[in-house]
Amino acid sequence: MTQSLVDRHDVELAALAAAGGRREFGELVRRHGSAVRGLLRRMGAQPSLADDIAQDAFIQAFERCAEFRGEGTFAAWVKRIAARLYIKRVAREARYVAEVENEDAAPATDHAGLVDLDEALKGLSEPERLCVSLCHGAGMAHPEIATALNLPLGTVKSHVKRGLDKLRARLQPPGQSLGSAQHVG
Amino acid sequence: MSADEFDPEIERLFARSPQMPDAALFTAQVEQKLQKGSQFRLLALSFAGIIGGVVAVRETMSVNLGSGEGVVAGNALGQGIRGVSLNTQGAVQTVLDQLGLANLELGSMGGMQMFWIAAGALIAVAAAGVMKLSQDI
Repeated sequence: MTQSLVDRHDVELAALAAAGGRREFGELVRRHGSAVRGLLRRMGAQPSLADDIAQDAFIQAFERCAEFRGEGTFAAWVKRIAARLYIKRVAREARYVAEVENEDAAPATDHAGLVDLDEALKGLSEPERLCVSLCHGAGMAHPEIATALNLPLGTVKSHVKRGLDKLRARLQPPGQSLGSAQHVG
Repeated sequence: MSADEFDPEIERLFARSPQMPDAALFTAQVEQKLQKGSQFRLLALSFAGIIGGVVAVRETMSVNLGSGEGVVAGNALGQGIRGVSLNTQGAVQTVLDQLGLANLELGSMGGMQMFWIAAGALIAVAAAGVMKLSQDI
């Protein structure tokens, strides 16, 4: 019996896409499109730019599908492609050099009263936001980020650390002390 | 990432991505781009194949079949072939003129060179056909 696309695993769909299966790849886009677009927005891209880059990332992923070996998740693989495309764009515009601090912005809350990550990220400087998103959203290691952004490793580490500290502070539900933040060392 | 910066709460929040309301539109746009890219490749390969084929036909017809050496079927046959050859050459030249390749200096290339160019182009067309078929199946 033929297995429907919805029931197939990402690795299986990617293998079929590598053989030219556009329908199978369409299913992968349907599954992970929002995650890739969301990551790019979290990295600081405007929605329209994020969508353009996400589309380019998926096109590139389709062309390079044979390179996906299923060692990580397909979503993580495409996220890294998208992140690198965004970095290229940002580097071309030299935007991450600008240190725009926006520390006074109050984080918004979602319907459940929880602090929204996307809103909290807006309180970070652009380099901090980029480094934290690359590290935690795209799963890139610090040396990898340093190479991609052409920044010293120490600078990347401090951007990530400062960014995380700010995020933790902003993500605290009102009335809770900072000391209660979960921090596994 | 070092242990210092590992924060399960932050990881969890990053892993939780909201479903975009226009997700279906986004998927359709990506599929459309893929379709366009595939069509463009197919078109480019087909165009290269047609040009190669036309050039190959033209070069084949340029061979002087009625040179008189070892004539077997007589002058009438030779003249007939020459006539067909000239007609075909004319037709091919018209196609080349329409494609803006009237001044293409094919004469400067060797016959073997032209053969391989034509063969390469035909193989490319065949590959494109197979690719298209495999995608459609």
